[in-house]
Parts: sequence; C-alpha cells; structure tokens
Amino acid sequence: MPDAASSPSSSGPPARSQTGRVLRDYLGPLKWQVVALAVLLLTGTGLNLLLPQLLRRFVDNAKLGGGADVGLLARLAGFYILLAVGVQLLTAGATYVGARVGWTATNRLRADLMRHLLSLDMREHKERTPGEMIERIDGDVTALSNFFSQFAVRVFGAALLLTGAVVMFYLTDWRVGVGITFFVLVTLVAMNQVRKKGVEPTRLERESSAKLFGYVEERLAGLDDVRSLGAGEHHLRGFLRVQREFFQRSTFSWRRRSVVWQLSMALFAIGYVGVLGAAVGLYAAGAISLGTAFLLYQYMNMVEEPIDQLTQQLQDLQKAGASLGRVGELLALRSELQEGTRELPRGPLDLRFENVSFSYAPEDPTVRGVLHDVSFHLPAGQTVGLLGRTGSGKTTLTRLVSRLYDPTTGSVRLGGLDTRDVRLDQLRSRVAVVTQDVQLFQASVRDNLSFFDKSVTDAEVEAALHEVGLGTWLSRLEQGVRTPLPTGSLSAGQAQLLAFARVLLRDPAVIILDEPSSRLDPATEAQLTQAMTRLLTGRTAIVIAHRLDTVARADRILVLGDGQVLEDGPRAALARDPRSHYAELLRAGTLAEEGVLA
Amino acid sequence: MTTSSSTTAPPRSSPDRTFALSKRLFAYNPWLFAFNLLMWGMVHAAPALLTLAVSSVFGRLEEADKLRLAGQPIDPVVAAAWVSVGWFALVRVSRFGIFYGAFRAWIELWYTLDALVRRNLLGYLLTAKGSRRLPDTPAEAVSRFRDDVEDVAGYTEVWVDGAGFVVYCVLAIALMARVDPVITGLVCAPLLLMVVFVQRLSPRIRTYRRRMREATARVTDFIGETFGAVSAVKLAAREPQMVAHLAALGEVRRHSALRDVLLTELIRGVNTNMVNLAVGLVLLLGANRVRGGQMDVADFVLFIGLLPRLTGSMGFFGDAIARHRRTGVSYDRMERLLQDAPQGTVVAHHPVYLHGEAPAQVATPQAEPLEELRVEGLTAHHPSGAGVADVSFTLRRGEFVVVTGRIGSGKTTLLRALLGLMPQDSIDGKGGRIFWNGTEVTDPASFFVPPRSAYTAQLPSLFSDTLRENVLSGSDPARLNRAVRLAVLEPDLAQLSAGLDTPVGARGVKLSGGQVQRTAVARMLAAGADLLVFDDVSSALDARTEALLWDGLFRETDATCLVVSHRRAALTRADRILLIEDGRLTGEGTLEELLERSAEMRALWAEDVGESA
Repeated sequence: MPDAASSPSSSGPPARSQTGRVLRDYLGPLKWQVVALAVLLLTGTGLNLLLPQLLRRFVDNAKLGGGADVGLLARLAGFYILLAVGVQLLTAGATYVGARVGWTATNRLRADLMRHLLSLDMREHKERTPGEMIERIDGDVTALSNFFSQFAVRVFGAALLLTGAVVMFYLTDWRVGVGITFFVLVTLVAMNQVRKKGVEPTRLERESSAKLFGYVEERLAGLDDVRSLGAGEHHLRGFLRVQREFFQRSTFSWRRRSVVWQLSMALFAIGYVGVLGAAVGLYAAGAISLGTAFLLYQYMNMVEEPIDQLTQQLQDLQKAGASLGRVGELLALRSELQEGTRELPRGPLDLRFENVSFSYAPEDPTVRGVLHDVSFHLPAGQTVGLLGRTGSGKTTLTRLVSRLYDPTTGSVRLGGLDTRDVRLDQLRSRVAVVTQDVQLFQASVRDNLSFFDKSVTDAEVEAALHEVGLGTWLSRLEQGVRTPLPTGSLSAGQAQLLAFARVLLRDPAVIILDEPSSRLDPATEAQLTQAMTRLLTGRTAIVIAHRLDTVARADRILVLGDGQVLEDGPRAALARDPRSHYAELLRAGTLAEEGVLA
Repeated sequence: MTTSSSTTAPPRSSPDRTFALSKRLFAYNPWLFAFNLLMWGMVHAAPALLTLAVSSVFGRLEEADKLRLAGQPIDPVVAAAWVSVGWFALVRVSRFGIFYGAFRAWIELWYTLDALVRRNLLGYLLTAKGSRRLPDTPAEAVSRFRDDVEDVAGYTEVWVDGAGFVVYCVLAIALMARVDPVITGLVCAPLLLMVVFVQRLSPRIRTYRRRMREATARVTDFIGETFGAVSAVKLAAREPQMVAHLAALGEVRRHSALRDVLLTELIRGVNTNMVNLAVGLVLLLGANRVRGGQMDVADFVLFIGLLPRLTGSMGFFGDAIARHRRTGVSYDRMERLLQDAPQGTVVAHHPVYLHGEAPAQVATPQAEPLEELRVEGLTAHHPSGAGVADVSFTLRRGEFVVVTGRIGSGKTTLLRALLGLMPQDSIDGKGGRIFWNGTEVTDPASFFVPPRSAYTAQLPSLFSDTLRENVLSGSDPARLNRAVRLAVLEPDLAQLSAGLDTPVGARGVKLSGGQVQRTAVARMLAAGADLLVFDDVSSALDARTEALLWDGLFRETDATCLVVSHRRAALTRADRILLIEDGRLTGEGTLEELLERSAEMRALWAEDVGESA
C-alpha cells in the first residue's frame, strides 16, 4: 500500500494500461512455455488430489482384516508410490518452467529498460543516482520475476489445490464442504489481515539493520582514526546503542510476524478438531465409511499448506503490482533531445557557435543562464585553447558540442550542419570527449577501452595502448588486454592515458579535452603531453587548458568570462597584442597565480 | 607484539573447536538456552502425540465397524472415539501455548547471541592492543559482521531444534516398533539415506546460491557503473554495447538461478518422495499382515501420520551436519578478521546492554606529560615493498617539526609506524625502538592515544552523525569551542544551517574536502593531547587557512607538533625539518640549513611556489 501512495498521482488509469502492455509484451513471445506451465500445474494438482482416494480404498479394504484382498492392497500401494513420484516430477517441472519464463521475460525487460533509460537526456540522469537506477532496473524487475515464477507456481498452484480439496470435501459430504468453505474463507481473510501488521515492523527492522551495519562499516573504514584518537570504547558504546535498537526492533518485528503462525496454529487446531469431529460424527450416524472418514482427515492436510502459501504470496503480489506500475512509468518517459536524420560529411569538421545562449533550467527565469550569446568559429583541423575561471561556462560549452544538451537559443554547427539535425549516434561517435575524471568499469582492460564492444579486436586495443605510451604498462599485465583493470592501482596519469586510448580506438573528427589540472610526476607529465600531441594532430579540438605550455601549442585562444566570449583569435596574434588577456597571462608567467584558472 | 600475522593461519576449523566455541557461546545465558531446549523439545514432540490420538480415533472407529458388522451397539466405542478427539484437541491447544513461549524465548536467545558475537568482533577491532589492519575492504569485513555472525548465532537453532527432533524420532520409532519392528526397520533404513543425501547436497546448494548472488552482484554493479558513468557512455555512443553486455550478464544469472531452482526442487522432491515411498512401502508390507490381523487401520494411520515428520527430521539432521561445518568456516573467517586474537575472543562473555544503557565510561588514565620522544631505527614496510628504513630522530616538548619529501617517499608510513597504526618490521626480533621520556614504548598502538598523542590522517574518516559528535568523539565537551576555533572551522559553521548540529552524512559527504579536514583537526584538538600528529592537512586547505591554523596553535597551545607537509606555510614555521627520500631520512635541520645542504630540499621548495599565498 505505501508503494501505491508514494507514486505520483498521474499513475492512475494510464499506469494500468501500461501494466497490461508490459505483461503482454514480455509474456507474449513465451506463450508456449506459459501454456506448458499451466498444463503441468493442472495435471500435478489433479494427481495430488487422487492420492487420498487411494488411501481410502486401501483403508476400506484393510479393515476387513482376514477377508482383505491382498493382491488389491498391493496394487493400491504400488499405484500410490507411482502417483506420488509423478506428482513430484510435475511440480518440479512446473517450478522450473515458471522460473525459466520469469527469468527470460525479465532479463529482456531489464535490457529494454536500460536501453530506454540510457536514451533519456542528461536532465533526467541528473535527477537520479546510480543506486536508484539499480533499484529501478533490477529491484523492481526482480520483484516482477518473482511474480512470474513464484506467483504462477505457488499462488496459482496453491489456489488450484485448495479449490480441488474443497471440491473433494463437497463430493464426500456437502455439509463438511460448507463447513470447510467457511473455514477457508475466514482463515484467508484473518491471516491476510494479521500479516499486514508485520509489514511496518519489518520495514523498521530493515532500517535499523542498515543503520547497524552502516555504523560498523564506517568505524571499520575509519579504524585508524578511531584507534589513534583512543576513541575505541566511545565508539563501542555507540555501537551497543545502535545494536540495542536493532535488537528491540528485530525481536519486536519477529513477534509481530509470528502472530501469523500463532493464528494459523490456532485456526488449524479448530479446523482439524472440527474435521476429526465431523468424521467421527458422520461415521457414528452411519453416513460415511471408515475409509471416507480417513479421507476427510487426509484432505485437511491439503488445505493447510496452500492457505499458508496463499497468504505469504499475496504480499508479494501487491509488491509486484507496484513494481509493474513503476516500470510502466519509466518506459513512458521520453527524451527531450530530438533525434536528427542527416549524416556528417567525411573528413575533418569545422565548428561554429552562432549566438548560443544556454540555461540548465530555461523554464525557470530566476536561474541565471550559463552561456550568453556565444559566437565563434573553429576551422577544421585546428586546436583552440579554452580559458576562463571556474564557472565561466567552459565545460557547458563543450557539452553543447556533443549534444548532452541543446542550446536554449542559437545553434551549434559542425561541418556546416546544425548538430540538432545530425543523427545522434553519428554525432557522438565523431566527437570524442576526454574529461578529467576518467570513468572506469570493473572489467577487463579491453572492455574498459571499447565499452564492452565485442567488434573491437584485441590487436586494436593493444595498438591504441602502445600509441598513448602505455605499452610497458600493458606488457606487465598477466593476461594482456584481457586482464581485469586494477582500478585502485592506476595513477591519475595512467587513467588519463587510458582515456586517450579510448578516443584513439574511435578515430573521431573532433576532440574535446579537459586537461588534467592536478600535478603529476614529470615522467607521466611528459608521456601525457606526447600522447596529447599525437591525439590532436589533424583533428579539430577544444582543449580546456590548465597550463601555459598546453596553450602554447594551440592554434587559437578563446577566453570565456561569465558565459561570454572575452577574447577569440589566433594565438600568435593575441600574443603580439599587449592589451589582450592572453598577453597578460603570458607576462604573469603562470595561469594559476593570476587566478584565471582555478 | 606488533608483528604482522601475514602468514595465513592454518585452518583451525576442527569439529572439536566448533563444539568448544559454540558451547562457550550457549553458556552466555545458560538458563535461557536450557529453557529453549525444554520448550522446543515439547513443540517438536507434540505431533507424535497428535498422531497417536488420531490413530486411536480411527482404532475405535474400526472396532465400531467390527461391532456394527456383528450387529452389536457401537455407542460405547464411539464415545471412546470422542474421548480421543478430546485428547487431540487438548494437545493441539497446549502446543499452541507452548509454541508462543518457545518462540519468544528463541528470538531472545538468537538475537542476544547475535549481539554478543558482533560486539566481540567490533570490540576487539576497536580496542585491542597492537596494530590493526583489515584483511580486506571494510565492506568485506561487514559481511563477516552480518553473514558469519548470523551463521554462528543461527547454529544455536541446530541444537535447540535438534534436541526436539531427537525426542520426536525416538518417540515415533518406539511407537512404530511397538506395532511392527520389522516394517519399522525396513522403512527407517532408507530414511537414513536422507541424512547422507541432504548433507551431501547442502554445500552444493550454497555454492549455487553463492554463484547466483555473485551473478546478481555483477548485474547490479554493472547497472550502477553504467549510470555512474552515464555521460561517458552517452558521449561515446556506446549504449547498444552496454545493453548487450547487460543482456550477457543477465543470461549468466538466469542460468545460475535456474540451477539453483532445480537443485532446491530436487531436494524438496526427494524429501516428499521419501515420505510417499515410505508410506507406499508401509502399505505394501502391511498388506500381507492385514490378513493375519497383525496390522489394522489404526496402525496404518499411525505410520502414515508419523512418517512425514520423521523424514523431515532426517533432512534436518543432514542439514545440521552441513551447518556445523559451515559454522566452523564462519569461525575461521571471523578469526581471520581479528588476526592475532586469542581463540575464543568472539564468544567471550561481555555485557551487551540490550535492555538498558551501558554504564558511563571510566575516566582516561592520567599520563606523564611529554618531555622528549626518541625514535631509534624505525623500519616499516608495506606488503608492496614501499616503506621507511632505519629512521631515528628526537622530538622535544613544544617543538614544531615538519616531515617533508616527495609523494611516495614514505612520510605517511613513518607517522603510521610510529603511532602503531601499521606494524614495524622486526628482523630477528629486533626492530625500531621508541622512547617516551626515556621509557621504551612496547605497544605504540595503545600508547599513542589521548591524552598522550592525537592524529589526523591525510584522508580523515568522519562518521554519519552531527558535526558536534564528530568533533567530540567522547572528548570533554568543555574543549569543544576552542578546538573548533583553532581548527579554523568557525567560518564553516556560519555557513551550515544547523551549525554544530548539522549531520555530516555518511563519511562526511555533506561537507567539502576542506571542511572534513578541519573537522578532523578540531576532533584531534578536542582530544587535548600533548603530541599532535598531522598528516598533510594541506592537501585540502588553502595556504591562508593553513597559516591561520599554525598561528593559532603557536599562540594558544604548547603542544608538540609532528607535521607532514610540503607547504611553505609549514616549512617556514618549522623548528626542524626531517627530509625523507626513498624511505630514508636524508636531512635534518632548519629550513635554511637544508636549503643550503640539500638539492632535494631546494627542489621541493621551488615546486611549492605556485601555491604559496
């Protein structure tokens, strides 16, 4: 229930139709497996209901004592064994098929969700943490997987068995049937009510358990700090406090949950005594045979288990419903970036900004825009050094080139085409971006460089690594490019070089480079400069520069201040003009001291 | 004392040890344990009595059947049947009451032992002597606190339930043997196979579960990483490849999930089939005896009623053996986490204060004020080989001594080894020696704490609590304000909405890097120690703030400072500088002396030019 309440109000009827569509889309292709599942369940339940019938015939024969037909008894016993094994095989088969359907369908749903979410624009991504994405793509979908596999088998199977058993009671004696029906209804309602009482304490228990292990994790991560300050006892006392809360909440929530079992024990005590009483009473009245009396008792066993299953699974069913709603909502989100259709021309591309203004929140007039009327032209194959203080809009400017965002007004033209008209995948594969913080995956070196692209060969990856000067580093890896990337042991310089290698693998026409600002050791520094020179040769490039010697190699200089172009021109010309910002920087001799760069 | 136990301890998970440790654990609250045994014994034995009652109901009805055939009145026998129904009702109802008590007792026992083991683990890591290094990441260590503690405390269940099941089995077999010992023997023999079967398969189930968990972790990690790097992925236009990789990971996970399902079903299937086979066997064998009158309906009902739980018990015993072994492994893993702890540490008896606040902390012992700290031949190395060798120096009261050198030269290692945060090397039992006012320090880890010394790490850890609690960390609240002022934290407090009561978030994420550093400095100052050890606070402080920090310390305290820094702000104020190159002390003296003598010092001095204020 809380799930439904917390979801936005817009998720009313449309969400329901979404739900239907999700189910149809993902179960449709598996319909034969779903049919097989239903057949297995129906047959299994049917056979299961037959077992007590065999026992009745056995009892009715055996009570004859000396007059019993031993051959018939032996046949009944053999048949019983055969049937029992058959039931088990069918149940196992149903569980397996159910799990298979669930996993196949939800794996496809996960992939589709990921594809869809990746296609959303960055505004959407800024709103959500990776943790939330995990919860949405895997958490919700796994709840659905349980819905497909568990619900189908457990709930459907249990409901079938329960119905079958109740029908059998009716067939045996209608009065007992009525009694049992009443009993089943009362029990289902009562247990479901009581079970709900356990939900909130369980949530609180989870919360305090997260707090407890969070407390432990933090202290272990800060073990040196705690110990060197002699604060061990202090933190141990803090731990005991957190643990006391965990203890109290856990025991409370267990007691609350155990009410369900206690209730079930109480209700079934009544149920069993009732059935046993009915068996004796009906027998005494001469209404049923001894075997039938035993049959009634046996069917009672078949009522107990499914009721337990049903009340357990009803909660999961509600959870799955909420998950399904959320999945539908996510799939309904649309990217604000329009997809273009045109192809970029081959070869080097020139870049032109025409009166570009940009705000991260254009709909909110109180938020000041980041770029104001920016215009400049960068001829194909040239490098521009981009200078400006922190917050002057350098990074935002580069984001517009690769269309992480679109300009609010004005246009960005690449090779003469408005970037909004170009196919997005083509644009992004021709424009490469190297940021300061290099994002790496826990995966092999080659997967890190190729972004899990199987079509990139190992040789290409090796060549790229040699090109950026990581050849010796590579030769020390045990399994070459297939070695899992030792993320922790990479220096900042090495990570940068890996990012360069990533770019080389793609051979882009335009490169946007945010030069590393942190101080590296001289050897890495030299390596980086060398690799950078190789990377930029023959390509159009924007370099957000942090050092003068980088800027010294640029063809042009662009100085941004508060979102506006302060200066734009060929480097050599600016250097000669004593009144230019750039010339001033050169005189100061350092970028850092002047504070032009943070 | 502080030698590293890097040589992996031999596997000590002998069955005897698991017994001994568990015995010690159960003895923590012996009455509660005994009460659990008693209550659960009754809960588990009750079904045997129920079956007996049901069997007697059908026995009476069978008698009635015979009387009816003979044309005699059946009322007295039916009355007897009603009495049996009454017995059945009585046992059912009392079992309900017993279960209520048994369950409460069990939850209390389980969570108490759980809490004790966890307290012992953390208590040892936080307060034991010697230097502590976690064998793995903190996240990995947390799984010792969660999964292994749960295994060890949950193992109690094996004993509590096991006792009940034994009572049931003895009762059930006795009841059945009274009817027909031969059939009982023939039926029970294959049931013993259940023990072997389940015990064999339990580890495999765990393997499959683990694989399934690992496959799941790979999927979730990948999703997290992908969206953590979402702009990189989008900029590289590699979305299809990422989705394809997720699909591949999902396929692996599907396979391991299906394997898990299949095996679980197999065990469940064998369990139920054993019951049905046993029932069938009883029917088959009994069929012959019926004619001779040795077996009647009541006997069949008895067998059919007793067998399911008997089979279940066998499965339980099989699992119990596997759980016993698993518990041994859990003990191993916990001991590996504690490294040099004496055996039995994890199950030692300590109060856990689950029902009330722990008594107030005992006052910290009075310490001898620092006059002189002498270090002789300090040598310490990381497993990777980096470290410091043979460093000797002396610190006198009130001095401000700066340790400087390039990145990776061993400055931090020097401080950490001195404070006992990492073990010193010991060659032939001889290592570096440390003297406090001329007395040798045997266990630096427990010696170099407030009020003698306090330390701020390069990347200090804060804890998700308020800023105030982070600064105080158990120190005297009277020292709070001065510590905050001297650490130049006051301007930050003005910015924070709730001032000192601002929650800093997990590991201080809500603060900036500089704020975390200054909070850690305030925490150190609040501890009121004689010797203050700073590891490169400058990395997150600007030069001006650093100057304010040092000036405040000089003006208001007479503390002795040992400072790692490459900043001019610190170097110019130093009474003495220790210059470290490649793990060796290559120069000691004032700034002027070193600038004159050492090329390395001149290089370091020149490099800092860009940053000085």
